[in-house]
Amino acid sequence: MKNVDFATFKPAALSIVSILFSLITGGIILLAIGKNPLIYFALLFTRGMGSSLGLIETIIKMIPLLIISAGLLACFSAGLWNIGSDGQFLIGAMLTGWAAPWLADSLPYPAYLVTIAFLGIFGGMAWILLPAVLKARYDINEIITTLMMSWLAINLVTWLVKGPINDLSTVPAQTTVIPAVYRLPMIPFTRIHAGLIIGIATLLGIHWVIRKTTLGYQFRVMRMNKKAAIHAGMCVPRLTVYGLLISGGLAGLAGAGDVLAVKGLFQAGWSPQYGMTAIPLVFLARLNGWAVIPLAFFFSFLALGGEFVARDLGVPVFFVHVLEGLTLLFFAASEYFEKKWIPK
Amino acid sequence: MIGITKNFPGVVASNNVNLDLHPAEIHTILGENGAGKTTLMKILSGMHLPDAGTIIVRDQTVKIRSPQDSLRLGIGMVYQHFTLVPELTVLENLILGFESGFFLNLKKAEQKLKQISAAYGLTIDPDRKIQDLSVSECQRTEILKILFHESDVLILDEPTSMLSPAETEDLFDTLRSLRKAGKSVVLITHNLSEAISISDRITIMRSGKNAAELSGDMLMAMDEKTATNRILEVMFGAVPEPQPRVAAQHVFADETVLELRQVEVLNSQGAAGLKRISFSVARGEILGITGVDSEDRRLLAEVIGGQKRTTAGQLLYRGRDITLTDISTRFELGIRYVTEDRINEGCVIDMALSENTILQSYYRQPFSRFGILNQAGIQSFTGDLINRFGIRAAGPDARVGTLSGGNIQKFILARSLSGEPGLIVCSNPTYGLDATTVRLIRQFLREESRQGAAVLLITPDMDELFSCSNRIGVLFNGEISGFMDHSVATAENVGKLMLGIGE
Repeated sequence: MKNVDFATFKPAALSIVSILFSLITGGIILLAIGKNPLIYFALLFTRGMGSSLGLIETIIKMIPLLIISAGLLACFSAGLWNIGSDGQFLIGAMLTGWAAPWLADSLPYPAYLVTIAFLGIFGGMAWILLPAVLKARYDINEIITTLMMSWLAINLVTWLVKGPINDLSTVPAQTTVIPAVYRLPMIPFTRIHAGLIIGIATLLGIHWVIRKTTLGYQFRVMRMNKKAAIHAGMCVPRLTVYGLLISGGLAGLAGAGDVLAVKGLFQAGWSPQYGMTAIPLVFLARLNGWAVIPLAFFFSFLALGGEFVARDLGVPVFFVHVLEGLTLLFFAASEYFEKKWIPK
Repeated sequence: MIGITKNFPGVVASNNVNLDLHPAEIHTILGENGAGKTTLMKILSGMHLPDAGTIIVRDQTVKIRSPQDSLRLGIGMVYQHFTLVPELTVLENLILGFESGFFLNLKKAEQKLKQISAAYGLTIDPDRKIQDLSVSECQRTEILKILFHESDVLILDEPTSMLSPAETEDLFDTLRSLRKAGKSVVLITHNLSEAISISDRITIMRSGKNAAELSGDMLMAMDEKTATNRILEVMFGAVPEPQPRVAAQHVFADETVLELRQVEVLNSQGAAGLKRISFSVARGEILGITGVDSEDRRLLAEVIGGQKRTTAGQLLYRGRDITLTDISTRFELGIRYVTEDRINEGCVIDMALSENTILQSYYRQPFSRFGILNQAGIQSFTGDLINRFGIRAAGPDARVGTLSGGNIQKFILARSLSGEPGLIVCSNPTYGLDATTVRLIRQFLREESRQGAAVLLITPDMDELFSCSNRIGVLFNGEISGFMDHSVATAENVGKLMLGIGE
């Protein structure tokens, strides 16, 4: 922080350049399919960021991304690959949808909020515990196990919400609606819920832990050179479990937050797949918590703006996924050229 | 190569260096660590791009941008650390990266391999997997790989550092037959006697520059001692004093620091590695242990460091049973293990020196408090190490990877010697280092033992064994085949024990 030079800004510059390139390439694709890219982007930006409604919606959409990214930051920094955030998210969300309505009646409001938060974290952690232990004890690839657990989660919550935890008074398969007064409070003078504060706080908290604490230090050593970590006597299996539990727990918390603040219930077939957006996001941010914030904003802006514009211009919603994908491609390319042209 | 210059952050690794190479010659590049030998060769093989200078191959100015370019020009390199894929067979490794078409034409490749093997006397079973080969066989495969791609120039980086004397002689025979076939061989080494015995020409490098070029005939005409002195003079500017044999030092023999009782350890194959090892090390003593088998030596070091568990027997440190104690507790008790594998185990090369300083002691004050790292404390401590041990680095924030091999080892040793260690276990501490650094590191160890630490020096290097140890022990076939006092030890009786002859 003390000596600000080009090197500190280089990562940011690379991300911005890749985003610009993706927008330009996206424009060319739009031209090719006979749409006017200028109108598309103008609409995208005015709808996504230009109006207060668009801005608020974008920010609300980015909250779960922030919390999941915080968890991924921890495990990626340790060289661990939790690809199943979506599963952990759903378990946290499902537990909240099931427990919140009756917990609200039996607990005072602050205690209720804390309990829900812990329930979400617990759900996410429980869902990653098995992959974590398998990785720690038997070195079984966590990419595969977390991903498989994700599929299990999707089917498990669907079954639960259609059966055991279904609110039979409603037609669609869903849990009982959480009354508005028992939702997450709004940040004063805004229409954004308190999850934003939690999201930014966890993200920067994890960022700090990774860089400034002995736990984070051990994580980094483990990622850079596992052999050296073992040789030095660090307890790699324990660190593995910690890293994965943190990421699973936070994904579960994100799920709890989304149900408690936005959805108000848990519904069959609901799977927003924030995890799949958060993974590339954390890489674009180069494992830097501060950089996650603007990128999360950009990605949720794309998602939201894309929805709006799809209705107006007839450009399919998934075009924004094309933009996301292009951003990643250009980012990968930029890393390549950086290595080739700028010697370390 | 004319006027080659290459800069790395903080250092000029190669400064206006010239080198020429004739067909059918063995050209040795000598120089201490960090003198720029490896950098020069990496430029030639396309791993680094030079900042200035030109490379001319067969009267054509060329740009070598990648190892592929280099191979196409007929230049092949055997690195100190091999670049073979352990899971593949010899043959598969040979054609790796040069598969043309979709189907592998193994038949044709095998025939070609047989031809080459026969021509140069490099016999090896093409169907064996690399992971089952010995070091010298791996090296042979690397050489075959270069010949397989019809290169005329072979560069070998420190080829003999891992070989036994007999294997070295074999390698040199191969090199001589290559020379006869018209190939040029570049040998990078700091082993003077080897360089003198085989080279047609010797180029000596010193701090990134050409220091001199000597012809092999001239050196061979001199007797060994004069030749050695002549070279050392050019390498270091002055002839280093001959290593004094350790004068009998005061040993606090009554104070046993480490004792091993009937220790048994399994090797990586799960078979008995060490068998019923018993010995003890006292305060102020340097116990040198040698043996031909590198895995046995490694097992012994690791069982004391705590990386490897015993299957039977007991370890006592200052009278305390540490058989089941974990690595970090042993460190806390004052046991320091300086690994032979400095790059992969000893440090994290992509992290800063300061971050590597605390690799084992991160949880202690003043490096951290309540789990929060104290950057100021870490930085000043690292700065102190750099100054005290004369480590050539840009500062505590420099990446370990930017240091030369010798400086990395100095750094690792410096780290281990801080905090008043009770026992230092060193495995092959001067492997691959130049004479100056070697001298310095041995001096550190002697100094440490004089101050009352027990030192266990596990090394295959006889010179090191004799110049440092008070007592000498020999490992053979997983057992201690003998112990002797320094005063009665000779190269002959130690050598016999190493090979299991006699007694």
